Amino acid sequence: MFIQTEATADPASLKFLPGRQVLAEGTLQIRDREAAARSPLAVKLFNVDGVAALSFGADTIIITKSGGDWQHLKPALLGVIMEHFMSGAPVVLEPIKAIGEVSSEAQAMVATVKEALRLVIDPELGYNIVDLGLVYDVAIEDGGVANITMTTTTRGCPATNYLKDGARDAAWSVVGVEFVDVKLTYEPPWTPEMMSVEAKRHLGIADGDGW
Amino acid sequence: MPAARRPAPLQQKKNAIVLGATLSRWTMSYFAAALIAFLAAELLMTLGYGYPSAPVESASTLVLVHLVVLGWLSLLMCGALFQFVPVLVARALYSDSLPLPTLVCLIVGLAALLLGFLQMDGFVSTVFAFFPAAAALLAIGFGLALWNLGRTLWAARPLPLPARFVVVGLCSLAATVTFGIIFTLVLRGVTDNPHLADVVANGVPLHAIAGLGGWLTFTAMGVSYRLLAMFMLAPDLDSSRSRAGFYSGTAALAVAIGGGVAAICFAASLTLALLAAGLLGLCALVLYGADMLRLYRARKRRVIELNSRMAAFAMAGLAASVILIVALAALGFFAQHVAATAFLVAFGWLSGLGLAKLYKITAFLTWLECYGPVLGKTATPRVQDLAVERRAIRWFFLYFCAVWAATAALLLEMPMAFQACAGLMLIASLGIIVQLVRIRRLLDVGVAMRLPPGIRMPQLLRCSVQHD
Ligand code: HEM
Repeated sequence: MFIQTEATADPASLKFLPGRQVLAEGTLQIRDREAAARSPLAVKLFNVDGVAALSFGADTIIITKSGGDWQHLKPALLGVIMEHFMSGAPVVLEPIKAIGEVSSEAQAMVATVKEALRLVIDPELGYNIVDLGLVYDVAIEDGGVANITMTTTTRGCPATNYLKDGARDAAWSVVGVEFVDVKLTYEPPWTPEMMSVEAKRHLGIADGDGW
Repeated sequence: MPAARRPAPLQQKKNAIVLGATLSRWTMSYFAAALIAFLAAELLMTLGYGYPSAPVESASTLVLVHLVVLGWLSLLMCGALFQFVPVLVARALYSDSLPLPTLVCLIVGLAALLLGFLQMDGFVSTVFAFFPAAAALLAIGFGLALWNLGRTLWAARPLPLPARFVVVGLCSLAATVTFGIIFTLVLRGVTDNPHLADVVANGVPLHAIAGLGGWLTFTAMGVSYRLLAMFMLAPDLDSSRSRAGFYSGTAALAVAIGGGVAAICFAASLTLALLAAGLLGLCALVLYGADMLRLYRARKRRVIELNSRMAAFAMAGLAASVILIVALAALGFFAQHVAATAFLVAFGWLSGLGLAKLYKITAFLTWLECYGPVLGKTATPRVQDLAVERRAIRWFFLYFCAVWAATAALLLEMPMAFQACAGLMLIASLGIIVQLVRIRRLLDVGVAMRLPPGIRMPQLLRCSVQHD
């Protein structure tokens, strides 16, 4: 393995070209040690004294130093990079999503998508599908992928496809949503108990047990 | 289904057909043809055509009877089943292209049958063999309907309870049509097989029971289980009581039709077979009635719509028919008043339920046609917004009152009063039909929401899937 280096416009930064793919897509800016947690390579690089920030590209690693001399830093950095790529360890770990740990940005988007889904009414009950409890789940993934899980009041209802398409179109209308996947499920089957208080009141339904 | 990408909505539309049930294109045409036959029959009754002015077995009564049972009720039921069986079994209709040729065969076949009756009477004096033509066309028409619905149901086994009612109803339709064809062929002299001649001489009650009781009533019972649960937000019933009702009803029909034919062929007592069938049928209807009461009580929707309220009137008509039959039979007057009970079954129960559900289904199908495609893109009216119940209700009241009064007039043997009541029925039906046309034309939808961009005014007689 042969690692090239290149000077950059900023004398405090040096570009390393390991001759391998660094990132599959995009760029990653890592400004401090905390932010490095996702990348085993970044953690090791920050362990070298004098490293201030990192920037990963498709096949480049730009390292910015806080002080010191490149003459001293360079051999240590080359060693870390070489060792890392030889070990076959990933540059960045796959994001592990802990349950309930959704970024606030995604949370805000979920709320916006739900609001948009209120445009879709169940034609028979005449109320929006969110308050009727027909939308079981809205999840937003990276890249603006909205995953909607929903049901209909009646299995085999002739409006099913329209409700599904309507939910898709409504979610699409939200800025930032690029992909929509609507899944239909009848598990668990819908019951009137799943409605919001307003929907129940609107339909004149008493609060109480499901059926 | 793959994730949907913004630039390819058309491609998405294609794989969107996932859960079967969609818009049945020709159902509206069936309804329109049925309503025309209904109005024609009411007009004939108002003018004093057929019973009670003519004998029950006269050609004019036969014309009237078949205009009602085939032209009105059977077309209505077929149109509704093409839309509704897929909902019952959550599966697409076997063929979307068969309903149109089916409809053409049934209408032309019915016309030939009516002309055949008139020919029997000497009223029509051409030599053309109307009866065999009617037999062939009706056999093809109902055969196609049975094939299409049968294949849909067969593919969906195991069937939920309401769908099993429909299966038994369809088997009864096959029996009714078979009897009818035998009648026409024997009456025309095409065959002189002695067994078949016996069937014609004694089998008319079996034909009527299979048609009114098996095909029309049993199917309507099954469909009502589901429609009422759906529209009133009540739980689907499939208790042991519901199943007991289903089995005793099925047994009643089997004893009446199978046992009846056997009794005729072996010269045994037909009355005995019909009595046994009657008791089983009574059981089935009582259990059904208990289930319907439970459905109405268990409903989550406190304020129910016109169609569910009017369906209750129709069911009261069914209950009244049962009571009337039992009372007349106990008093020994049944033979004398069989026409009055058949009238109450056909107009109080079957037509009443048909009109009530038509009011709902027309609005629902029109909604699907016009607003389904733009759901999620723009604000849409509710199904209820297509209809103004306040306006429709008085016509429904007039209709039911007129039917009950007409039944009384028949029982009291007052033909003029009967004609007057038939006239009121005609007016009420016209009033209801005007409401249906208003629904179809979106006349009661606020202008702001009436026609979203890209949506056409629906055709009166045909549903077409509109794309955005
Ligand atoms: C829903 C289906 C049907 C019902 C409920 C029904 C009902 C009836 C009733 C109640 C009668 C006796 C009427 C009277 O005596 O005034 C009758 C007679 C008759 N029906 Fe039907 N019918 C149905 C279908 C058919 C079909 C499909 C055909 C022909 C293909 C047919 C042919 C006849 C004939 C020829 C008679 C006269 C029998 C005779 O007088 O000997 N019916 N039907």
